[in-house]
Amino acid sequence: MSGRLWFYANYHCNLQCTYCLTESAPGVERRELEPELMLALGREARELGFDGLGVTGGEPFLVPGMAKLLAGLADELPVVALSNGTLFDGRRLRELEPLADRPVHIQISLDRPDPAPNDAMRGPENFRKVVEAVPRLVERGIGVRIATTADDPDSEEMARLCELHRSLGVPDEDHVVRPIVRRGRAATSGLGVPAGFDELDPELTITADGAFYSPFGPTVRGGRLDTDLLITRTVAPLRTPAAALARIVEGRPAGEDARLGIK
Amino acid sequence: MGALQTLDSRRLMAGMANEKSAAGVRLLGADDAPILARPFYGEGPTSPIVTSLAQVPEMLEATMPFIATVLGPSALDARTKEIVILRTSVLLECSYCVKSHTVVALDSGLSRDEAEALREEAPVDGAFTDQGERALVAFVDAVAGAAGPVDPLVRSEIARLWGEPALVELTLLCAATVMLNRYCTALELPVTAATLSRLAEEGLA
Repeated sequence: MSGRLWFYANYHCNLQCTYCLTESAPGVERRELEPELMLALGREARELGFDGLGVTGGEPFLVPGMAKLLAGLADELPVVALSNGTLFDGRRLRELEPLADRPVHIQISLDRPDPAPNDAMRGPENFRKVVEAVPRLVERGIGVRIATTADDPDSEEMARLCELHRSLGVPDEDHVVRPIVRRGRAATSGLGVPAGFDELDPELTITADGAFYSPFGPTVRGGRLDTDLLITRTVAPLRTPAAALARIVEGRPAGEDARLGIK
Repeated sequence: MGALQTLDSRRLMAGMANEKSAAGVRLLGADDAPILARPFYGEGPTSPIVTSLAQVPEMLEATMPFIATVLGPSALDARTKEIVILRTSVLLECSYCVKSHTVVALDSGLSRDEAEALREEAPVDGAFTDQGERALVAFVDAVAGAAGPVDPLVRSEIARLWGEPALVELTLLCAATVMLNRYCTALELPVTAATLSRLAEEGLA
């Protein structure tokens, strides 16, 4: 089993983005994964041959001790942690310092090169907080990636966004552009591209609700968890959902490779 | 999956979900079916046993082949198996299973009088004349209708009349039906409108 193993650390978030897959917001049920469980599964992932770990949410950095958890996971495999980038100051920034020069990247969302349209999608002050946080992390030797989620991005806008991330210290190879996926809140709003079993790459994803086919699987719509990409409710030992995913991938007809390739 | 595919279609049709009916648990429609549950969904309505178990796909994958093997075609004929399933369901007071398997029992060759007898609506001895089938009902009553050991005389009578392998299979069939009875009752699985309609036609509602 190769590829990246994903964890949904939690489902709550300090933002309420218009296209959020999981309808995350400040008041939603947290549904956190226990850090000890993630560490145990990270160890098993290395033994099973996975080549990376991903941590997403919700906003993972709302979970106390997230920096320490990322350091522990990085002892097993390279880690990427997805974040909205709005929490990296003061205590949380200091807690991240031990991650300098470790195989950990923090992937921060930045969708537009201008504050107003960016914040309309992601929330007030989001743009300012991100452009302030990224250099702080870079200066401390912490790996940063920028993720841009956009429907049919304008080329002129994208060029300016790339200038921006370069100016913040993030090179082109660490800039990820992906479409809005029509699941969760995006589906309710009619945004994005359809993404189901035929469109998504298989990437085992562990949540408090079970194991899913892809990190785009454990979505929430109308307050209810989508189950179409659920694999197993059992998450430990990891070999149980990993074996189930392997059977699914082996049974997938040839030529039905994922079309979106969203990472 | 092979075992499921050999499950007699009447047994599958008997438990088709009327997904608009209330249930004690969420029944996953085809659009919500997890990947590994999808092969258990057919073209038409799917049993609420499947659509409820689909919430835990690894349990569905293990349970349905087991059910199909134990309740489906085997060395025992369908009529014999339905005597066990219907009688057990009556003793366990599983409304879903009694209604569903009354229809299957009729389709498996039992008469209306026999079905009524198994449902405790008429005397068993009046409806069943075969010595082996009378012993079978007594055996089910001993296994599913009471706690504790089964009377050795009742058990040995089944071994004498049916053979020891049949004794083992009948015991497993009865026990598996008890499991399903409790599952369907605890989760209040809904009986399909088609089954209710058929029971009304037969005067067995």
